[in-house]
Amino acid sequence: MLNKLPIISIKELSYTYPNSTEALRNVNMNIYESELIGIMGKNGAGKTTLIRTLNGLIQPTKGSIFINGEIIKNKSIATLSKEVGIIFQNPSHQLFANSVEEEIKFSLKSLNLNKEELNFRVDKILKDFNLEKYRKRSPLNLSGGESKKLALASIICRDPKILVFDEPTLGQDAKEINMFINLIKNERKKGKTIIIITHNVEFAFEYIPRIILMTEGQIIADGPTSKVLNNEILIEKTSLILPQTRQFVMKLKESGFPDLDNLISKNQIIDYLMKFIRKEKTFIKGI
Amino acid sequence: MSLEFLNAFKFMKKETLLHKLDPRVKLLFAIIYSICALLFTEIIPLLIIFLSLIPLVLIGRLLKQWIKSIYGLSFLMIFIIILNTLFLSLTFAIAMILRIIIMVSSFSLFFLTVDPNDLALSLISMKIPYEFAFSFSLAFRFVPTIAKEAQNIIDAQQSRGYEMQKRGFVNQIKNLFPLLIPLIICSIRRAFNVAEALESRAFGSKKERSYYFTIKYSLKDWIFTIYLLLFLISFITIRFFFNNMPEFFMWSLPV
Amino acid sequence: MKLINFINFYYRYKGNEEYALRKINLKIEDNKFILLCGETGSGKTSLIRCMNGLIPQFYAGFYKGKVEVDGKDTSEVPIADLSTKVGIVFQNPENQLIAMNVEHEIAFGLENLGKQHNEIKKKIREVVNITEIEHLLDKAPFELSGGEQQRVAIASILALEPKILILDEPTALLDPQMAEKIIIMLKKIQIEKKITIIISEHRLDLLLPLVNEIILIKNGEILEYGSKENVINGENFQKMNINRPVIYSIFKELKRNNLYTKALPSSIFEAINYLTKLD
Repeated sequence: MLNKLPIISIKELSYTYPNSTEALRNVNMNIYESELIGIMGKNGAGKTTLIRTLNGLIQPTKGSIFINGEIIKNKSIATLSKEVGIIFQNPSHQLFANSVEEEIKFSLKSLNLNKEELNFRVDKILKDFNLEKYRKRSPLNLSGGESKKLALASIICRDPKILVFDEPTLGQDAKEINMFINLIKNERKKGKTIIIITHNVEFAFEYIPRIILMTEGQIIADGPTSKVLNNEILIEKTSLILPQTRQFVMKLKESGFPDLDNLISKNQIIDYLMKFIRKEKTFIKGI
Repeated sequence: MSLEFLNAFKFMKKETLLHKLDPRVKLLFAIIYSICALLFTEIIPLLIIFLSLIPLVLIGRLLKQWIKSIYGLSFLMIFIIILNTLFLSLTFAIAMILRIIIMVSSFSLFFLTVDPNDLALSLISMKIPYEFAFSFSLAFRFVPTIAKEAQNIIDAQQSRGYEMQKRGFVNQIKNLFPLLIPLIICSIRRAFNVAEALESRAFGSKKERSYYFTIKYSLKDWIFTIYLLLFLISFITIRFFFNNMPEFFMWSLPV
Repeated sequence: MKLINFINFYYRYKGNEEYALRKINLKIEDNKFILLCGETGSGKTSLIRCMNGLIPQFYAGFYKGKVEVDGKDTSEVPIADLSTKVGIVFQNPENQLIAMNVEHEIAFGLENLGKQHNEIKKKIREVVNITEIEHLLDKAPFELSGGEQQRVAIASILALEPKILILDEPTALLDPQMAEKIIIMLKKIQIEKKITIIISEHRLDLLLPLVNEIILIKNGEILEYGSKENVINGENFQKMNINRPVIYSIFKELKRNNLYTKALPSSIFEAINYLTKLD
């Protein structure tokens, strides 16, 4: 059987800040194309440091990173950011141009596209993100939600193969989170690999298939979400809390409800409870 | 060179005699030493002033920072040596370098050992209005925050393909916009947030403001003040009677 | 007793055509733990700003109607005075910490009010106790973690002894365990000091188990304000674009299938109790 090669391969990665803080300690990780993975952990565990090594913002002090099979050690940030697009938390750290259109054009500048391709991409991204009506408007005049969209658009228009999001659900209501999920789904259909840093346990539990947990610069878990996030010990170590579904099942167990194994998702719980209540009702009716 | 050099002016909390001195005394120190440095263009007096800084640096346990600040000036110093030697004399060049080192060091020692809080308090004790002194210490408080923000902005822009190095003077200016504009906007937003928070903590209340922390002149401060005044008087005297000074005072390099 | 009273209040920011707040009629009483809930852009932050006079005094704009805090008109009484009744902790703690060390931070508000040294010292000891930050007194703001910064911000507002404490998304930047600790600490403070606390939040799963009342705001208008039980079981709560907890969704589905007829639970504890008492 032939094995697929990972799109990102991280080997024994370590990074120590100039002030001697060890931010990453011997990190090993393989990510495959089209995967959607979440990186979670306490604030300061090394998550943001890790993603910054992927596009060259941070040069590791030890170890190596391979993207698409090539070592990235001597590549410039400008080159790497064509492959790895990081979308940071705060759009106001990016937006500066005279118009939304100019903002997108700025992002595309380093790709050296010809005029036709450039305009095509600008038109497409504005349409895809529903920002066409703001084309000539100053990005500084947009609402919070629209700015976040624009910041996102300005990375996606560069068409990087790997997308990395730093806390995308922070301060977002249900509608905005839904839009984000749709965006992720679309990008994955195009074959993009997606990495999300989040501390939103409910969001991760419902939408992200694979979770990597970090603490103190090291990876302490890497696997399917239902296994990783339902593990009390791991959750405790990383300052997270168990998903509500898990908390509920544990309390059901404490109260003596039977046959709770394999009850993981919301729908499974609903089915279980429906059976339980119907049984109770027939039992009561039977008296 | 650029950002590391600023560390020579960042306050670091320590328990040394120098740190415990009243901030007003230390401001006086920086001013007096600078005046004395400006009095002379001859090497020996400047060297004496320079050497008298060293015990203070050692008392404050700031040797490492001090050396870093001198190192940060090295580029400037080489520039001065070359220029002055070409047009004037090597002696003059060295004298200028000593002057700069003395002035920068004395202010550096001031900023390294004065808690920005105390700085505001000392300004107030000199009858400067509270709002002014407060904005001063507020600025200090936010320097590390703004520095971190600047780094985040650089990271965000580089992640979109922005390149820091550019050729040509005009290009370099244009290239700063993607960094400066977000920084300015974020700073303005921050200013609003801070103002809001201040209002909500009764800032500007009509009541007479009280001060929880106070600074007081103690014996060691008076002793140091007297030392500084004597120092100043001595060097002014030396300046006036320079021609009556012993030979070696006027020593200069044979260049 | 009405701590805050909005009387037919409208507000729009200077330069905006749209009203940020419309027809606000809201009476908030003491000794309550309240959740303020709404979609992004619904006016939560604007509503909060009205409660200590920032609107309309600090934020220039056009307004109609009146807002009273403890009987005083917020457009006339200086914000500094209103701050002794209403304390607001804003979203980003970094921008609220203005002193060079924690002790001075807490003393700051009291200094502004001209309190004497001894009184300030006593107050500091008190609030530092409740917020558990004794060990941080001589630290500088940038040396603190997000959770610590938030606790210091809360302590420095509590020092002013407000009758009502309002927090605008206090857990936004915190990791889940820290967020939980802060919310529980706030509940403890609310009960011990018998003050009213209003929290604007997206993380409903942490707050629903603990609040007494919920304010729903949409498009600048108060959609509903009532007891937690009433609001959760209402239509508005179901339709809004908010992050309803999983427990809610589960029981809503059971209800939809006519298998559950009681009130929807606001916490896992309640859910289990309802299930074990089925009859």
